[in-house]
Amino acid sequence: MKLKAITTTPPINVKRLGIATALASAALGLPVCAMAQDASVIRIGVVTPLSGTYAGIGQQVKWGLDLAAAQLNASGGILGRKLELIYEDEEANPAVAVQKAEKLFQVSKVDFLTGTVNSGSTLAVGQVAERNARLIATTVSFADSITGDKCSPNVFRVNARAGMQSAALADWMASTRPNANVFYLGPDYEMGRSTVAAFKSAAEGKGAKTAGEVFAPLDNKDYSPFFGQIRAARPTVIYTSVAGNDTVRLFNQMSEFGVSNNIQIVGASGTVTSQNLPAIGKAANGFVTGVGYSPLLDSPENKKFIADFQAAAKTQPDLYGADSYGVLFFYKAAVEKAKSTDTDKVREAMRGLQWATPQGMKTMRAGDHQAMQEMYAVKVNNTQFEIVGKVAAANAIGPDTCTKF
Amino acid sequence: MHEVTSRSLGHPARALHWLAGLFFGLALVFAIVAWTVGDVFFFRLGTEALIFAGLALSVDLLLGRTGLLPLGQALFFGMGAYVSALVLKNWSSSFWIAIAVALVFSAITGLIGGLIAIRSKGVYFALISFGLAQVVSKIIFNTRELGASDGMIGVPVAQIAPGLESGQPAGFFLVVLSILFILYAGLAYLMETPFGRQLGAVRTNEQRLSFLGVDPWRTKLAAFVGAACIAGVSGALYPMLRGFVSPELMFFQVSGNAVINVIVGGTGTLIGPLYGSALLTVLRSVVGSYTAHHQIVIGILFILVVIVLPRGLIGLAAPALQERLGRREGAVRTPILHADHPQ
Amino acid sequence: MDWIQFVLAPQIVNGLAIGVAVVLMALGLTIIFGLLDVINMAHGEFYAIGAYVAVALLGAGLTFWWALALTPLLMALIGYVTERSLIQRVFHSKDRHTLTLLLTFGIGIVLEDILKLVFGANPLRVEAPISGATEMLGLFFPNYRLFVMGLGALIIIAVWVLVFRTSLGAMVRAAAFDRQMTASLGVPVNRVYAATFAFGVALAGVSGVLLAPIYSVFPTMGRDFVLIAFSVVIIGGMGSIKGAVIAGLLLTQIQSISSLFISPVWGDPLLFGIMVLVLMWRPQGLFGRLGHA
Repeated sequence: MKLKAITTTPPINVKRLGIATALASAALGLPVCAMAQDASVIRIGVVTPLSGTYAGIGQQVKWGLDLAAAQLNASGGILGRKLELIYEDEEANPAVAVQKAEKLFQVSKVDFLTGTVNSGSTLAVGQVAERNARLIATTVSFADSITGDKCSPNVFRVNARAGMQSAALADWMASTRPNANVFYLGPDYEMGRSTVAAFKSAAEGKGAKTAGEVFAPLDNKDYSPFFGQIRAARPTVIYTSVAGNDTVRLFNQMSEFGVSNNIQIVGASGTVTSQNLPAIGKAANGFVTGVGYSPLLDSPENKKFIADFQAAAKTQPDLYGADSYGVLFFYKAAVEKAKSTDTDKVREAMRGLQWATPQGMKTMRAGDHQAMQEMYAVKVNNTQFEIVGKVAAANAIGPDTCTKF
Repeated sequence: MHEVTSRSLGHPARALHWLAGLFFGLALVFAIVAWTVGDVFFFRLGTEALIFAGLALSVDLLLGRTGLLPLGQALFFGMGAYVSALVLKNWSSSFWIAIAVALVFSAITGLIGGLIAIRSKGVYFALISFGLAQVVSKIIFNTRELGASDGMIGVPVAQIAPGLESGQPAGFFLVVLSILFILYAGLAYLMETPFGRQLGAVRTNEQRLSFLGVDPWRTKLAAFVGAACIAGVSGALYPMLRGFVSPELMFFQVSGNAVINVIVGGTGTLIGPLYGSALLTVLRSVVGSYTAHHQIVIGILFILVVIVLPRGLIGLAAPALQERLGRREGAVRTPILHADHPQ
Repeated sequence: MDWIQFVLAPQIVNGLAIGVAVVLMALGLTIIFGLLDVINMAHGEFYAIGAYVAVALLGAGLTFWWALALTPLLMALIGYVTERSLIQRVFHSKDRHTLTLLLTFGIGIVLEDILKLVFGANPLRVEAPISGATEMLGLFFPNYRLFVMGLGALIIIAVWVLVFRTSLGAMVRAAAFDRQMTASLGVPVNRVYAATFAFGVALAGVSGVLLAPIYSVFPTMGRDFVLIAFSVVIIGGMGSIKGAVIAGLLLTQIQSISSLFISPVWGDPLLFGIMVLVLMWRPQGLFGRLGHA
């Protein structure tokens, strides 16, 4: 034990003060930097999941955006100004997405923002956009509510929404398997249930019958407890809205148990994607879903797009990459029409806008900010998404349920 | 040797008060600087850090002062947030009503949760706390009326006083800072009262406490309810800041982060968790901008602290500071005693 | 009696297959707790690492059987190193329970992110080495699952024999019961501790390999089993092998059969509720501790 006699006044804890000052200056240095930015550049903020379960989707989003930005910059940019993309990781968590979005709007002073993947993040970031008088567009989120009852004047959607996907699938099913007996299996949460409900009403509207319905917990490991029920119902079609890892397990286990023999499996667009297809393997063959894009689309624009994408990213694009590629052209068309990046002018220009994408021409419906496009039914065959059906844009889009503007 | 929760009866109170003053002082300096440059983002980020610091404070009340490790404290935080959002959206945009309702709700749910969890100690308590959070967050995740997995947007700003509402970055920052100060000061004072000593006694040796005629069960329950209220009130502030709530606020990630903030900051010091939250919020934001694998960095930092520095940053700084400040409380050196080891 | 044959019986058999998987996970956890008094919050991540090690070995050209044989050895090594380098450092503290819980919690966070870093976030496939199905009770039961049940049962029996019928096991149990006395008898207690942790981790790794073809491989797969494994260990009794086996089989049966009557979403909350009740009325679980059971 040591005795220390203090005879002088206690010294200020210099080290602590130093650390505090350093932290404070670091925290404050950033806005000072931001103010000294190049005003002739158009900055696009991208809040997308770069880590976590959705990192695969975020990666496709990034590839699509990077390719589009590179091409646009090579041909002179927008209104003569170059594009700059600024990325932030939202970790598929709306709380983080909101924080990062605000950082991009306030500190990086972006003119436009995109990249959110899950609908919770899109909705929350849309609010931030309203507060900051900026526009955002989503290229992935397919929840109907985003351009439906929770629509916002500052939120646009360039990808297909769930209702459109269901319409394409229901149409295909009615023409290939009229009066099918459908068993529904979905993950027990809001999105899973509403996707099943949406397809069910579309299908029943075209004459399909319901053989049964069961909801498994999200992240369920083992679906074998449900197979007895499925067998007993003797369906001709099974519709599922599981996604990601759940799909891998469901499909592999169905194949293990022979449940899927002689039954047509259909599902939501997020059920089988390029992120989980390699893990599902052969068990995915024959699966049909409704989507807004397939790499097998036979058009010169798409072929060129795929070649460019392959060269830059060393892999094929999927619908997330394609839609993310298209969004910058959407923005370009709007800004050129408005002759400005001012939010209100661009919003006005975006309404009713038509622009070219790898999937053909899309039209942005003014009433709810939902893009209209031709929809496809695709079938998985040896890791390829073959096109087996088409529905015209006007038939797929569904009614405008947005009442906020 | 390594103690996380043992604290002698003569802990360096003076140093802790000094460090607390420093914390709030620095926060005020930050506020002045940010206000002069007209900043919005850093104010809101700072407010968010303070809100999560409140959650960390509630964890420290249980972990550092009562000896119970809660792995599901985000439950009360998230519920407070949802209650506040519902009140603001559907009933009244008054800040005070939202906070009051959240407080009452937290007390009631804290009581229920406490009755379930308090009988257990150690890892059992931790797992029950974890499990409760999992179950309730799953229920909310599935409840359409609460926005289900998308959460609820469109929460209006809260009116605090004429001319002061939660949408104002600087104003709300100061309001949250004041609330945090009241919570901290209240807890610090409470620790000096007989109740506070009872908590300390529960942590060091529960059995002996009952021989003294004090019911440890009631003490622990009171601490649990108190912690639930602190977490709930902190949570209630979140939708006022961000205008939305989502089930992710109740997920294990939030509970886990709170525990990390407390351990790194300094368990049992009450001010340590505040420092820890502030530091780690900044760190997560900065590291997250450079790499998607920020969890590795935070995880390694956490492991290092647990092994090398289990008393946390403030736990290390405070005794050293106490000596430098000159006057000592009671004993010549501040020994870290095991109350039940022979000395 | 159609219902019994075509609905209930298959459900029971399914539950057994899941049960064996859960027991393997719970065994490692309970052994680590029983001897080391360490709550291994990273157990799920070791399970995941086992699966990824198998993926890597398969990618290097080895067959599934080689992967199954080699993975436990590699996992044991990882476990041994983890115990010696990290866990032993907080071992002698009075707050050991809390500290090891926190430490393993931190280790789990780092390990999960490392898996994402090295292998990416997307799920991976492990082909089952045995294909085809047998008809049983009106349901086609995959042969690979039958194999897992069988091998799992063998492993469980082997563990029991090892712990209760060999001198090695006796050393381990003695060290759990009274560390100092055992040390004074010349047993290298530190090494026994590390080896036991390694063994528990190896068990988790083996589960990972065995279950990979059924449940697929992705970085957060550890979370699949964590809650249920801990519930099983607590209900069975921390440190009791018998408890882990019985509670594991029983609880998975309860979950499996109850899913016929209540919505399956309530499966996990049901288990959690049982765990809370057990903790309130019989905190030591059904069967007590390794050193004493």
